[in-house]
Amino acid sequence: MTDSHLTRRALLRYGAYGAGAAALAGTAASWDRLTGADIPGRDDGSLVVATLGPAYGPEAIRTLQEGFAELHPGIKLRINAVQAVDWSDFFAKILTQVAAGTAPDLVYVATEGVQLFAQRLGVALDKWVKRDAAELKEYFTDVHPSLVESMMYEGSLYQLPVEFNAADMYFNRQVLKRAGAAFPPADWTRDDFTALLRDMKRSSGSRFTPYFWTNRLWGGVVPWLFANDTNLLAESKAPGGQWLWDGFYPAGQRVGRGGGFRWTTPQATHDRVEEVYDYLASLIQEGLCTRPEGGNGQNLIGVFSTGRVGVTPAGGFWAGGLHLAGMDRDGFDVQYFPRWRTQRMQYGAAGYALLRTSTMQDEAWEFIKYAARRDTLDRLFATNQTTPARRSLLTAERYEKTGPAHWPVFYDTLDRFPDTGPIPAPPQVAEVEQVLLKHTGTALASPRSVRPALRRMQGDLEKAMEREV
Amino acid sequence: MTNTQIPPARAARPGTPPSPAAQRPPARDRGTRLLATLFLAPTIVGIVVFTVVPIIGSVVLSLFHWNVIDSPSYAGLSNYGEVFGDETVLVSFRNTLVFMVLAVALQLLVALVLALAVNGRMPVWLRSVFRSAFFFPLVLSAASISVVMKYLFNQDFGVVNWLLGFVGIAPVPWLTSENAAMATVVLVYVWQQFGFSFLLFVGGLNNIPKEIHEAAALDGATGLRKHLSVTLPLLSPTLLVASVVGIINALQVFEQPYVLTNGGPGDATRTVVMVIYENAFEQLRFGEASAVGVLLFVLIMAVTALQFRLSRRFVHYQ
Repeated sequence: MTDSHLTRRALLRYGAYGAGAAALAGTAASWDRLTGADIPGRDDGSLVVATLGPAYGPEAIRTLQEGFAELHPGIKLRINAVQAVDWSDFFAKILTQVAAGTAPDLVYVATEGVQLFAQRLGVALDKWVKRDAAELKEYFTDVHPSLVESMMYEGSLYQLPVEFNAADMYFNRQVLKRAGAAFPPADWTRDDFTALLRDMKRSSGSRFTPYFWTNRLWGGVVPWLFANDTNLLAESKAPGGQWLWDGFYPAGQRVGRGGGFRWTTPQATHDRVEEVYDYLASLIQEGLCTRPEGGNGQNLIGVFSTGRVGVTPAGGFWAGGLHLAGMDRDGFDVQYFPRWRTQRMQYGAAGYALLRTSTMQDEAWEFIKYAARRDTLDRLFATNQTTPARRSLLTAERYEKTGPAHWPVFYDTLDRFPDTGPIPAPPQVAEVEQVLLKHTGTALASPRSVRPALRRMQGDLEKAMEREV
Repeated sequence: MTNTQIPPARAARPGTPPSPAAQRPPARDRGTRLLATLFLAPTIVGIVVFTVVPIIGSVVLSLFHWNVIDSPSYAGLSNYGEVFGDETVLVSFRNTLVFMVLAVALQLLVALVLALAVNGRMPVWLRSVFRSAFFFPLVLSAASISVVMKYLFNQDFGVVNWLLGFVGIAPVPWLTSENAAMATVVLVYVWQQFGFSFLLFVGGLNNIPKEIHEAAALDGATGLRKHLSVTLPLLSPTLLVASVVGIINALQVFEQPYVLTNGGPGDATRTVVMVIYENAFEQLRFGEASAVGVLLFVLIMAVTALQFRLSRRFVHYQ
């Protein structure tokens, strides 16, 4: 008699055929997903703008899109908020998109990447700026020339700055009060700063650290280097740029301006650099400041707002950050970085860079102009998550809810100290930063380790600067 | 009953080559092979596409200079020369080997001790609680754990130093001292990873027949002697698996040192995979990054081969 039941073997065989067919059908059905063809904005004629995700929440993206659609209904806009922990992580992801052949048209780029993008990926905006000079006059009048110069590379302008952050000093007012110290004056010195830290230390418990800083390019050792009238790399100006300065800035503001910054010869073994490291090492030895810690200062808001830290360098972005952390507007305040040999300060700025691979360069330029408008920035930076590049946006009304009381410091850092400049960020910035962080950690292990660490830093920086990106 | 045995192929006369028909396996055998191939195909395709092709791609890329932006240019073996001349790379290999030795030894020791403890006299429900608790860190994201640990081990504000303060111990620079940073990274890594070895050991201990322990007890073996002479030899196959997997994972460590110390202070905790990441995605030197990757691949293969070679001497199967 024939067995009408399926044998196990036959069942397995048909099962395997079925699974294979299902796999093939599934692959065919999801082919668009597998090849990334279904990614919104890809190949649909949209102008694609990549922004740093955490800095641009859904509300900000909606603001940008709605405002742009009103002005340019014919241009489809897609904003791609790339999630990244910091600028170098962001660049890595953008470059991965470039490598995959899916580069955006515009990328939001900070000082750390301005020269890298300008040299390898960006399009100079000169022809558009010259063409729309009349329209842009109001913008340049409102923006400090140093910020504009930081967006230039070898005589050409690559971005219009929309935001910046200088490293000013933030104080916890409760800690100041506990130390019986007055709020420092604008022209305070490094020695005043040290004395203040000692007062704070004396008046607080063992679980208190007067000065906290994060080991990174922006706001780490670099502001101290600037204050001591030196830099990690020899700084000079590229020639050119007169077309811009003559066209948009009065004579008084053109002095000393060029075609963008150049950072060339490493000078880690310079006496003044060593002085800075010796000073920071002495603060650590005395228990007046933390050992340099890698990272992005995310754990800082908590310890600052609870009074376990008295002073720290931060930018205008902290006005919003501390407010969001629940700190009262009178709980903190801000002052310029203390004077050493100079009171020159450092900053980082950001704006939109147009990529060479873009096939929508004219449309992209319209977006760049739109993104730099006063009303756009006003809405975009409503929560004080940064310092707007437009001077006119810094008003008492803006800082009424969040503080700090001395909010004019944010922009006056540029106006009062016109030689204030960007952090050193040549095209080799990633390696330069890595070398700086690595050897700073070693240098500050003990006072005796400063000099050997700086010698090694110098060697590594020389190697980094010799390399072509 | 159906005879499921496969008939033997007809023997060919000596001196004459077998006919093609005789060479071909019987139809049912061919069907079985096809079926097996169909079942294995997705896995094989996955391994080829996601493992073999990238490995070959890395080897090829290691022979080129490529920065993502420009077209690749042939470099021959110069990337390998660069790598061997780069002190950071050499230090990262040394760090990785030191990390591997410390982490795997500690991981196996902790897992074994806890497995023996949990396998001892203990209520079944409590045993389950411990098993779950020890395995739990393994299912969490290493990056998330490292972020939390970074807060806990902060020298100035961390909970760990705060607790040590109660017993009069001065704050320890867990993450900012060259001497302590590697130990801290190892601790965090082991805390997260030991659950895997623990489960393997629990399974291995359950497979050891009770009679052998009873016989050992009759011969007068007690506590430690019993474990050294009976448990460990019989557990050696499990130890081999745990150590092979542990070493392969440890040689590829990335998240913990990257998040906790960013490779610092100095290069104290910079590992090979960190160097690969930094070279490729931060400094746009994909050729050199691939060369380091290939060297790491060779190192892992060599260490694993050595383990299997040594296992002939130390591993005892029942």
